[in-house]
Amino acid sequence: MEDRPTSLWRDAWKRLRRNKLAVTGLWIVAVLVLVAAIGPWITPYDFLSQNLDARNLPPSLSHLFGTDDLGRDVISRVIYGARTAFLVAVCVTVIALLIGVVLGAIAGFYGGIFDRVMMWFTDMTMSVPQLLLVVVINASLKQPIATWMEGMYLATLNPIWRNSALVDFVLVFGSMALISWPPYARLVRAQVLSIRSRPYVTAARALGLTNRIILLRYVLPNAMGPLIVAVSAGLGTAMVLESAFSFLGVGVNPPTPSWGNMISDGLRVWTNYPHLLIAPAAVLAVVTVAFNFLGDGLNDALNPKGQK
Amino acid sequence: MFAHILRRLALWVPSVLLVMLAVYALAFYGAGDPIKLIFLRAPGDVAYDPTKIEAIREQAGLNRPFLVQFGSYIWNLLHGNFGNSLSSGRSVWKMISAAAPVSLSLGLCAMIVTALVAIPLGMIAGMRQNSRLDYIILGTAVTLWAIPAYVAGPLLMVLLIMVLPEGAVPYGWGGVFDLRILLPLTVLSFQPIALILRQTRAAVIEVMSEDYVRSARAKGVPEHMVALRHILRPVLTPVVTQLGLIMITIVNGAIFVELVFGLPGLGRLTVQALINSDFPVILAITLIGSFLVMASNLLVDLLYPLLDPRAAGSREAR
Repeated sequence: MEDRPTSLWRDAWKRLRRNKLAVTGLWIVAVLVLVAAIGPWITPYDFLSQNLDARNLPPSLSHLFGTDDLGRDVISRVIYGARTAFLVAVCVTVIALLIGVVLGAIAGFYGGIFDRVMMWFTDMTMSVPQLLLVVVINASLKQPIATWMEGMYLATLNPIWRNSALVDFVLVFGSMALISWPPYARLVRAQVLSIRSRPYVTAARALGLTNRIILLRYVLPNAMGPLIVAVSAGLGTAMVLESAFSFLGVGVNPPTPSWGNMISDGLRVWTNYPHLLIAPAAVLAVVTVAFNFLGDGLNDALNPKGQK
Repeated sequence: MFAHILRRLALWVPSVLLVMLAVYALAFYGAGDPIKLIFLRAPGDVAYDPTKIEAIREQAGLNRPFLVQFGSYIWNLLHGNFGNSLSSGRSVWKMISAAAPVSLSLGLCAMIVTALVAIPLGMIAGMRQNSRLDYIILGTAVTLWAIPAYVAGPLLMVLLIMVLPEGAVPYGWGGVFDLRILLPLTVLSFQPIALILRQTRAAVIEVMSEDYVRSARAKGVPEHMVALRHILRPVLTPVVTQLGLIMITIVNGAIFVELVFGLPGLGRLTVQALINSDFPVILAITLIGSFLVMASNLLVDLLYPLLDPRAAGSREAR
């Protein structure tokens, strides 16, 4: 029991290392995490400080990615954008994962009417085009949440409730989690369904263990492999979604730097200052491709049967 | 067969209604009072006269219970009446029918391009599994899948501007047969192509190991005939079932493509409505988008037994 899981993971790691694309993806993702973590200490300039004498500068040694229309250093903003993207991606994935695992596991394990209703609900959520759903949620809930936060401020006098960036984050996390959980729920349900009838589960049941313990100790741990693949793909998707919403103006709002709103700003002036568009767009493209290569590599490494 | 259709419809109609109810409820409770929204925009004398506001509310039926209002909204929808825009006062239905042809023709073209590009390439990749050609095709597909439309579009534009003469920027809309459609169409097709290509490749690899493919080869059927007659048909079935997913990628992608390339379609309408908090427009577009996706899912569900007779009657897992 103690030995088997480690060797499973070691095998997977070996297979992953043989896949050059996946290793490249892993390196890029690792660099991204590092940059996001130590961002404030490595940015050459403050991402907010404007220098009106140095506006729209092309890339140079002192400003690697140039400066924008307010004279802000673009590479510093890209680095802070990585922090935003990563924060949103992790939070959204964790929330969506929690909802998905709980609902999926219960539906798969107990079956019956709850299962049917759940799957019906999942199908429905998945059939609304995500962007439109987020647009509706965002347009509808922005005002109520802002009012509620103002109420919380008046009740507690804690200045944190006055932070308008917090409204953005609550909205972005909430609406993105609301559209991101169905794939996890489906995956966990399918896994649980196939694991439920394995002999070791029957054995556990014969020993008289309760459903809760069987589910937590025997079923869920064995569903981890595909779930890890889904999470790595999900992190990438969440980053893309965040920048997509910021691009449309329903995500994180300026002045908080986000790759999406940098791209949308760059799009307005790209004929004169293409670097303002290319820098965030290229970084976002590299990161999403890296996440996809890593996800595919993990899939091959953790589910060797599917590879043939 | 008939019973199958009835069963699907019996589940489909309530699903559509429930999605509509959820979206309507969000707009209803979140957006606040539409009358106030209108008069906050154009503060005339009415804005400050509570009795007049009350009269207008009564006249517009805004004092009725939520479910009654929802019912009448659906009833009006069925009669092609989507209400009026809050920002321009124009009929939402007119705004949508002006914008829809652009999005629809772009989306349809993207589907055709996807089918023409993705299925042949996916078959080539699958039949030469693990060859260098396969890796190139697959790697390109993963890259195309990963890069979102609002990144690919601008980057391609920047690249093209270096090649094209001044003033030939592919911006704006001139119909399906206008050259300016090429770039938006390419960008919009990227993700569906990647999706279908990978699907086709996986299906081909599975079909290739079937006995009837081996026996067809053994009796000397030429390779291209094997591909067309014995592999293509069974491969198409799992590909067709992805119609709903393609629909979602195209609806999502169209929003960005239209924004980036300045096309006057539904996507741009959505973004404008969002900027103006124009709820009747947002609501109508969301409902239409969801309806399109759900309708394609239903179509796939109904067609599936025809495509794959083995699945007739019992198809629970997708």
